[in-house]
Amino acid sequence: MEAIWLYQFRLIVIGDSTVGKSCLIRRFTEGRFAQVSDPTVGVDFFSRLVEIEPGKRIKLQIWDTAGQERFRSITRAYYRNSVGGLLLFDITNRRSFQNVHEWLEETKVHVQPYQIVFVLVGHKCDLDTQRQVTRHEAEKLAAAYGMKYIETSARDAINVEKAFTDLTRDIYELVKRGDITIQEGWEGVKSGFVPNVVHSSEEVVKSERRCLC
Amino acid sequence: MGVSGAQARMDQNPGYYHRLLQGECSGRLEEAIRTDMNRTFPDNVKFRKSADPCLQKTLYNVLVAYGRHNQGVGYCQGMNFIAGYLVLITKSEEKSFWLLDALVGRILPDYYSPAMLGLKTDQEVLGELVRTKLPAVAALMDRHGVLWTLVVSRWFICLFVDVLPVETVLRIWDCLFSEGSKILFRVALTLIKHHQAFILEASSVADTCERFKEITRGSFVTECHTFMQKIFSEPGSLSMATITKLRESCRARLLAQG
Repeated sequence: MEAIWLYQFRLIVIGDSTVGKSCLIRRFTEGRFAQVSDPTVGVDFFSRLVEIEPGKRIKLQIWDTAGQERFRSITRAYYRNSVGGLLLFDITNRRSFQNVHEWLEETKVHVQPYQIVFVLVGHKCDLDTQRQVTRHEAEKLAAAYGMKYIETSARDAINVEKAFTDLTRDIYELVKRGDITIQEGWEGVKSGFVPNVVHSSEEVVKSERRCLC
Repeated sequence: MGVSGAQARMDQNPGYYHRLLQGECSGRLEEAIRTDMNRTFPDNVKFRKSADPCLQKTLYNVLVAYGRHNQGVGYCQGMNFIAGYLVLITKSEEKSFWLLDALVGRILPDYYSPAMLGLKTDQEVLGELVRTKLPAVAALMDRHGVLWTLVVSRWFICLFVDVLPVETVLRIWDCLFSEGSKILFRVALTLIKHHQAFILEASSVADTCERFKEITRGSFVTECHTFMQKIFSEPGSLSMATITKLRESCRARLLAQG
């Protein structure tokens, strides 16, 4: 049976080729790490439930995308229906960091009239000795674009859960405040499936309480 | 080598391949290819760094030479898997190069160039063929908002490598070399039609994707002889004129979308 969830969020994971997008997603959705992984051609799909508050679960649909530049002609069709995104670079690869700006521009053009809530992810933080991008400059860049910054490692399972759940929480807050609304013809956020059983049992509890008062 | 015209091209251009290898290094091309070497068939012993002879070097040479030969395409991920198979089968760098040229340069219409227009066109064409031949599946895709690029990109870009069993892939390639790219639609339509009832049970996007992965496994595809017979009977008639017409209209639509 389909598990009960409050909302469904669509997230997209982007960034240069070989920064570790597929590995990060696999670690998060399957809990494992593969030393080598095939280059992603086109787009792939994963999903997982996260509990952001006790009893409040969000279903995440995660789109994994090819990093090689020419695949953008395919992957850009997926920006529009995403509410959130993880923009990855590899902390041991300076060029992947320099391309962050270009990725943001690329999405901005193709996501309109919607917006994507991005988090900047410095990946492969277990390889600290080969670091080419300092935490300070990454934080500065993230702040300039209004993003949060987090460093992760799929290999050592560092901050992987946190990267996804923090982003999910931020989007959830925006939805609660009404800054992001569910819209017909847009797949970014969908309202969840809450079976009647849950509603009625809650009502029973409430009414009982009322009686006691 | 014969039917694809690769042999003839090789004979007409003696030394060409080796001249390409000695040609000027562009830096970016070589780097892009190098990053994929460790992740092309890592489970195959012949592609391990420790192997002797190591096919990584062979594969690298073929791809670099091809990128220099066809500069409009350069290197596109996916070509590593195709060239990898060619290298394994022919055990010859030069033959692999000319076969890759037959595929990328002539048989597949513009799949790997930077705009990937031919690839996108053919995925749309498949969508149209499904709409005509298997309308219930097309309706399901529309209902869940599943784009064809999500479920069949790998089929077309990798020419079924790592999608279908090796023997089946090679049988498909035989037809591809002799009959052209139309065969890819036959394979795709056969897979979808044969598993139509199973696909139609999909309850969500995720489920649809999962089912499209599932239908590439099992005895239907491992028994390659029967499978190859099926691809010519199951999808029904599929004339080149129909494909050409659909390619034209889909291409125009994609260009209009920008």
